[in-house]
Amino acid sequence: MTITVLGISGSPHRHGNTETLLDSFLDGAKAAGATVEKVVLKDLTYSPCRGCNACHKTGECVVRDDAITLFNKVLNVDCLAVASPIYTMGITAELKGLIDRGQYLWARKFILKTLFFSDDHIRRHKGLFISTAGQSWDHVFDGAFPMITAIFNGTGFEYYDNIIANNMDEYKGIKNHPTALKEAFLKGQKVVAVLEKLKDERLVQPVAEKTQKN
Amino acid sequence: MTIKVLAFAGSPRRNGNSETLLDWVLASMGGEPEVAIEKVPLTEANINPCRGCNACEKLNKCVQRDGMDIYHDKIIGADIILLSSPIFCMGLASQVKALVDRAQVFRSRKYVLRLPIVPPERKGKRLGVFLATAGQNWDYVFDAAVPSVKCFFHVIDIKDEDISYLMINGVDEMGAIGHHPTAKTDAEKLGRSVIAELKKRLAA
Repeated sequence: MTITVLGISGSPHRHGNTETLLDSFLDGAKAAGATVEKVVLKDLTYSPCRGCNACHKTGECVVRDDAITLFNKVLNVDCLAVASPIYTMGITAELKGLIDRGQYLWARKFILKTLFFSDDHIRRHKGLFISTAGQSWDHVFDGAFPMITAIFNGTGFEYYDNIIANNMDEYKGIKNHPTALKEAFLKGQKVVAVLEKLKDERLVQPVAEKTQKN
Repeated sequence: MTIKVLAFAGSPRRNGNSETLLDWVLASMGGEPEVAIEKVPLTEANINPCRGCNACEKLNKCVQRDGMDIYHDKIIGADIILLSSPIFCMGLASQVKALVDRAQVFRSRKYVLRLPIVPPERKGKRLGVFLATAGQNWDYVFDAAVPSVKCFFHVIDIKDEDISYLMINGVDEMGAIGHHPTAKTDAEKLGRSVIAELKKRLAA
């Protein structure tokens, strides 16, 4: 079965540095044979989390909008690439708005205990964070990582890798960065190969077990 | 001279833990003479996210027309600015992040266009306060929010050393902060000390 890859672009700015980097990753994944889809948050309609905690009782969000449709999609792919530029030392409000709406999954996992991802499931679902920042500071992405960890944990993905490039202001855009676009393409290819290998293992495994028993 | 206090209540949940913490600080500030307080719940402020268009780097203003038109001027006019947020998924609530990102117009003014944010006589006479609550009781639960908050205050001409913090973890359900052993006392103490510090600066 084909590996499915979903890219979520959290930038309000179409075809900017971060989305271009995401595109390169998705191109790599496609070149490796994956089925690829890109969702641009700017084109969706969803409201921020209301903090009402109703999901702590029901496991469902009281707001029915594009965020729920997107989370359903997220839960059904093998690889999730979440992309956001760094604004004010963090991810964009659009992406933060989406991540916060995943609270109902957190409630299912930790309060209602109706959702559980096995270690095996997590190993077979890889998450990547794709980001660019204008600033040259090495720590410019640090504020984003914990929120990205939150969405991967909530949706059953292993936080597999980062594809990040800082100093965009200096480079005058991702296209002038010496390595980032190439790196993203290669990482797209690589993650698909890794996921395919994991799928093959699973197909082979029962046979191996049977052999052992005999 | 009246001290102008501008307070953003960032939680989508009205009268929850982070807003209660803010209310305690504001109540103690309001107990001092010559203090005018304006509290703004972000749920009613109509502030859209930043579009990342960078037009403010040239125009010195935002291309969006929304609630920020009003709060841009109020942010400049205030002597003390408070920001409160619950921690959602290890960060600021997205509504608060939207406000913080919209301060990009100040960042462009300050660092790109090299224009003043406040007149020279008001420099160093502005103070910032960040208040937060988190359901988790991890001590690092606020770490990812703080860098964004610092940027917000820096670009509106409030220096690192002029920002005070009160961050309370382990409060989740509505009203939980009411049972916290020190939050209320600390909030009241903070309100009084920030007003006292500002009065000292204004007198200098």
